[in-house]
Amino acid sequence: MMAGNDRIIVADPGLSRFDPLSRIIAFDDFDRGGCGWTQLTGNYEGSLDTMLPGFAQITSPMLSTLGHWETGSHGGIDGSYALKLATRPDRDALSVGIKRLTFRKAGPIRFEFYATFKPEANSLALSQRDIKSIGFLFDLQSGAEDGERVMPHLRYLNAHGDTLQEKWQFKRHRPTISDIGDVGETVSHFHLADTDWEDLPGGGQKLCYNEIPTKVNWHYVRFDFDLETMQATHFQCNDRVFDLAAFDSIRIAAMPNLWCMLNVCLFVETNTDKRGFLYIDSACLSGDF
Amino acid sequence: MLRESATVVVARNETWRGSAATEPFEVGWATEAIIFVRALKAPIGVMPEVRIEVSPDGMRWLPEGTHFALPAEDDGMTMARVAHFGNWLRIAADLPDGAELTVLVTMHLK
Repeated sequence: MMAGNDRIIVADPGLSRFDPLSRIIAFDDFDRGGCGWTQLTGNYEGSLDTMLPGFAQITSPMLSTLGHWETGSHGGIDGSYALKLATRPDRDALSVGIKRLTFRKAGPIRFEFYATFKPEANSLALSQRDIKSIGFLFDLQSGAEDGERVMPHLRYLNAHGDTLQEKWQFKRHRPTISDIGDVGETVSHFHLADTDWEDLPGGGQKLCYNEIPTKVNWHYVRFDFDLETMQATHFQCNDRVFDLAAFDSIRIAAMPNLWCMLNVCLFVETNTDKRGFLYIDSACLSGDF
Repeated sequence: MLRESATVVVARNETWRGSAATEPFEVGWATEAIIFVRALKAPIGVMPEVRIEVSPDGMRWLPEGTHFALPAEDDGMTMARVAHFGNWLRIAADLPDGAELTVLVTMHLK
């Protein structure tokens, strides 16, 4: 006999492509709109000029049918729309989408999504090195007053400079925390700089880039994290499950107004002066509670 | 089902000089838009009109036909309504030498 969660999944083909834990916190199928994914913005105080430049460049996510100049709308896995993150047309540009929640139980959570990425198709070339990376992160803070703010980061480094890299990386070194404004109530830290990324041991992986900039193939990603121990427990992309023994997160002192924070971010970075696009067909965040 | 609606910031605290435009934005799900331009700082020089542009691919742009003023004072705002725009939408302006405008541009779509 099927458990309740299994019955729900069988009854919903959109959900059946995921393996959620017992409680579905959010099932974001972008055929139903933006589902609470917005642009990450940096902190500011007094003036927007105080925002750190790394954050100021970030643009708004949009609903896209993946329309291409020579083949038309590509569409999603089972509908018309996907969430699209687009960078500016600059080398080392970054765009980040964020979903902001809090958690009600400090236990296991699972984030799954189907994604694909391409550069803007403004040249008749393979363009495989134009995207630097795609990635995701959690921004978490314990509910306990002696707890930490914990930020697990993972990115697929597609290319860097002139060379394909095709490997997963993580980041654990804490960034510089800067005072913002002159009141002393606001700080900011740009944790997505292209520095301090470390190779995940055994993290090489070749993805399905396909043969021209307008052919895309969807990939599955799953990341499990325990909010009680604040440790990652599983990371998978398509058919590969990676060893997380060497993985760790950015860990900084708890901040005074972020208790039980559960933020999820997705991002894309460029390697050339072309816009970079990350598309998310659907995403599922679930928890064991 | 409620109608989809979105407020999108397509330029925030960007200082426009010379030929300027918002980043390409896909709006194919929407049938109408209001676009606001707000000056976040006192404009410098004489402001030209801004035009709405549409595109078949997000890379090649044509004027949609709607023009409207850019704000002429700090915290001033201007706006235009547009419909039947296809999938891609942006606004663009050509500021004369020496002119400068720091903008907040928002699209309100449904």
